[in-house]
Amino acid sequence: MNRLMGAVLLFIMLACFSSVAVATEDKFHLDSPEKSALFLELTNELRCPKCQNQNIADSDAMIAVDLRRKVYELLQKDYDRGQVIDYMKQRYGDFVHYQPPVNPMTIWLWLLPVLFIFVALVGVIITRKRQPTPMNNEQLAKAQAILEHDE
Amino acid sequence: MKKVALYLIPLAVFLSLIIFLYQGLFSDPRSHRSSLLEEPVPEFVLPDLMNIEQTYTRDVFLGEVTLLNVWGVWCITCAIELPYLKQLQDEGKHIVGLYYDQDIDPDFGIKTVERVQQEVTDKLNQLGNPYDYNIFDVKRDLSLDLGVTGAPETFLIDQQGKIRLHHIGDLNPRVWNNKFAVLYDELAAQ
Repeated sequence: MNRLMGAVLLFIMLACFSSVAVATEDKFHLDSPEKSALFLELTNELRCPKCQNQNIADSDAMIAVDLRRKVYELLQKDYDRGQVIDYMKQRYGDFVHYQPPVNPMTIWLWLLPVLFIFVALVGVIITRKRQPTPMNNEQLAKAQAILEHDE
Repeated sequence: MKKVALYLIPLAVFLSLIIFLYQGLFSDPRSHRSSLLEEPVPEFVLPDLMNIEQTYTRDVFLGEVTLLNVWGVWCITCAIELPYLKQLQDEGKHIVGLYYDQDIDPDFGIKTVERVQQEVTDKLNQLGNPYDYNIFDVKRDLSLDLGVTGAPETFLIDQQGKIRLHHIGDLNPRVWNNKFAVLYDELAAQ
């Protein structure tokens, strides 16, 4: 039963992927496979400005359709990857690209995790160094007595 | 003393995190700073919606403070906004429409210009016409250059043809007073 379900799910997933691929190739035909690959890549990493957290390949909002068409047009005009992204950023800001630029505001996205690891490491080292005072024999004997008593 | 600091530092970190996240509750995920602020309106050559023979360029914005309102008859919020725009126009503000149609999709359907004109006329007869004229963004190229994400959106353009404000969403008395009024009055006084 489970295996059947798995097979059906796999089939559905594959069907979805293939139909998307066919659809993009039908509508936007570029003259070289490199450009087609770049088109897929760009539409996957450009963010739809209207929708919350969907890329323009994924979204059916009109703005996403327009942006896809614009990417296609620009690629036909031999724009490279960086030029297309700049074109979009000029109009829709950094928001439109999923990869944020490194600037004084966003540098913390990279620094904070490193800083956190560093602070945690220092903390661990400090607590390790502070060894608890060793127990004296009297305390050990007492503990032993309690253990034996329990048994 | 050292011990106090040991407890205070995590507390301070925790509190600043709380404040940061608390602000996030009230931030609008749809508002992001327009990248065209203080820039001139992008170049364009587009026809008048009602009179296709006549074309406009960005020079039409020179010499007058303009509210450029992006809209369409298919947009429900725009219909709600129209009466307030009409009110603004009655107060003497210069409002220009940037009209675009959803159904004129370069990839799919074709809708005749006459039909679009008829729909617009019907809508404006019904709700009032706040526009001095409408620029017809046939293929939505100007909208894309302006960073428009949908409709309605409104731009405040100064006498030099520079974009001073970009508002995503409808105009209403609250938005006008909070966002537009001060800058508009300042520009209009020049």
